[in-house]
Amino acid sequence: MKKFIFGIISISFVLGQTGYEIAKMVDEKPTPKDLSNKTKMVLTNSKGKSRTNAMVSKSTDGNKKQIIWFIEPKDDKGVAFLKIEHDDKDDEMRMWLPAFKKVRRISSKKKGDSFMGSDLSYEDLSSRELDENKYNRLDDEHVDEVDCYVLEIIPKPEAKSTYTKHISWIAKDGLYGVKEESFDKRGELKKKKSFTFQKLKNYYVIKKVFVEDVQKKHSTEVTFSDVQVDTGIDENLFQEKNLKRLPHN
Amino acid sequence: MKRLSFPFLLISLVSGQWNYSGSFQPITMHRTSDLSNISLPFRIAEIEVGFSKGDFDFTTSSVVEYRWTGGNAEFDLREAYLIWYPSWGEVKLGKQIHAWGAVDGNNPTDNLNPYDYYYMFLAGADRKIGTLSGSVKYYWNDWQLEAVVIPEHEPNRYPFGEDDFPIAMDDPGDFLTAGETLAEYGMRVQTTMGNSDISLSFFSGRDRGFTLVGYKYYIDWATPVLTYRKTDVIGIDIVTFFGDLTGRTEVGYFNTNNNHTTDIKTFNDAAYVQFASQLEYTTTNDITLMIQLIGNDVLAVNGSTYAYDENGNPTELIAMNEDELQQGMGTPFAMFTDLGMFLSATGNYWDNALEIRINTFMDLEDNQAMLGGGVSYSPVENLDLELSITQFYGAEGTQFKTMEDFSHIQIGLKYSF
Repeated sequence: MKKFIFGIISISFVLGQTGYEIAKMVDEKPTPKDLSNKTKMVLTNSKGKSRTNAMVSKSTDGNKKQIIWFIEPKDDKGVAFLKIEHDDKDDEMRMWLPAFKKVRRISSKKKGDSFMGSDLSYEDLSSRELDENKYNRLDDEHVDEVDCYVLEIIPKPEAKSTYTKHISWIAKDGLYGVKEESFDKRGELKKKKSFTFQKLKNYYVIKKVFVEDVQKKHSTEVTFSDVQVDTGIDENLFQEKNLKRLPHN
Repeated sequence: MKRLSFPFLLISLVSGQWNYSGSFQPITMHRTSDLSNISLPFRIAEIEVGFSKGDFDFTTSSVVEYRWTGGNAEFDLREAYLIWYPSWGEVKLGKQIHAWGAVDGNNPTDNLNPYDYYYMFLAGADRKIGTLSGSVKYYWNDWQLEAVVIPEHEPNRYPFGEDDFPIAMDDPGDFLTAGETLAEYGMRVQTTMGNSDISLSFFSGRDRGFTLVGYKYYIDWATPVLTYRKTDVIGIDIVTFFGDLTGRTEVGYFNTNNNHTTDIKTFNDAAYVQFASQLEYTTTNDITLMIQLIGNDVLAVNGSTYAYDENGNPTELIAMNEDELQQGMGTPFAMFTDLGMFLSATGNYWDNALEIRINTFMDLEDNQAMLGGGVSYSPVENLDLELSITQFYGAEGTQFKTMEDFSHIQIGLKYSF
């Protein structure tokens, strides 16, 4: 019995943190109070044909409140999207449709819906609740010379996820995601995501996301520019009225 | 001082931010029966120009209306208004289009702007006419309170004497009187309760469409008097979610009365309700399905109408029945049917380069229907090619029977900038 206990202690010491502990560290790492950027989204289909969307985004509270104004394509200029995540009730999502002069409340429950035709779903854009997933630590790996923790993340039923599993590679130095693979309800690989981060004011802030829907053979590259953190974005920005007004800077 | 003010204005304009967007969108419409051209005006270009400085925006929206058969283009300033964005809300002043209500397109509670019947088959703000008005919207946590004042009544724009327009309308000429000039006003309060948005609204104004209210005697004959009745609307609209379904419902209660003095008064007052209720669902392959039920019911009518003999001569005034009430406000679909159903399916493919739409309107009381479908294809960014078809079917005596000849194909392109 003593041998067994010693064995467990030894293994625990060697492996360090559990999957949950690593996820908790990622969840608790300092994040910007607010974030603003210009976003360029290039969608590329299996034939290599590309289309570009451009938008301006501002967010706060760890991305729980976000407002996005669409700039391109020109036909969509002026359309804007407001997301407010709640802990105790369903998230609120609203869109300003200039052609209808109307703010339209949209469902936040269809997490699997594509965001603006991209390979990113609304679920991909939302924060993951720490306790709504199970975390299994897999063997550490190096990705492009970055030493990474590897976690298997299994959404619990309460997460109402469209995925059954994610494998996430998390940089040990900085605790930012390097890449992720997400699996659909059938357990088959659905998306491969890779992330590039930049260091800004002691934060690791996302610079580029590349998502490939391996089943649709379709990809989306999202590039963030003019990234600013902790500029003191007013909480009042995340109101319907500000959807109607493209930001000036 | 005068010398100073001009450069100051110039500096203000330079230091603010101008923005513009718009589109060229030539389209033509042809009858499905013989592909002949339908001679109506189309908006072939539109431009929005705005200026922002500090908490203020100035926005204009203009269109060029063109009739292929007539060849003359007309410029229309559809909106021009100033917006102030204080920390607590927004204040708008000028010629503007408002939008109230929860459902898509056929809103009983959205009566702040008149409709332009030339563009009745367009969606959203495109079928409304801007009105000179002031509005204040106050935001407080989950609450929004809006007040709108419209100093001068604006009626619907009807295509009088247009042979190609599907609903025959004769210009009432001198029979139409503008009636009393009362400022119109409305209020709307919206809140979020649980996972639903709920709004209550009130609007007091005059009908957007004219109706017969009585007769005026001349020496030995009587002429009809048409005007815009005073109508108050109490509305409620709700947006809620049932699992993956989104529900939007809207009900308007209308109380209309005639304050116009005539020698023979044929209309006193009436009450009616209009409702629209829709469910939306997006499939896993991104097809958006929508079903909308639209209806109205006349609750009470206090008026009279002439009975006619076999030669068409009026004999006596008899009580007006509920079917004879013309609803001068609310959704235009109320003129077609008391109960109808609208179905639509929209799918986007090839990274939104291709959009396919199917829509149907079915009258659930009379045997008439409208079937439509359309395709938009964007071969390059900012350019869309559009093709759509609309077909009307109706049994003898129905509105859509008279519109069968208006069944059409519409071809166009749209370049956005």
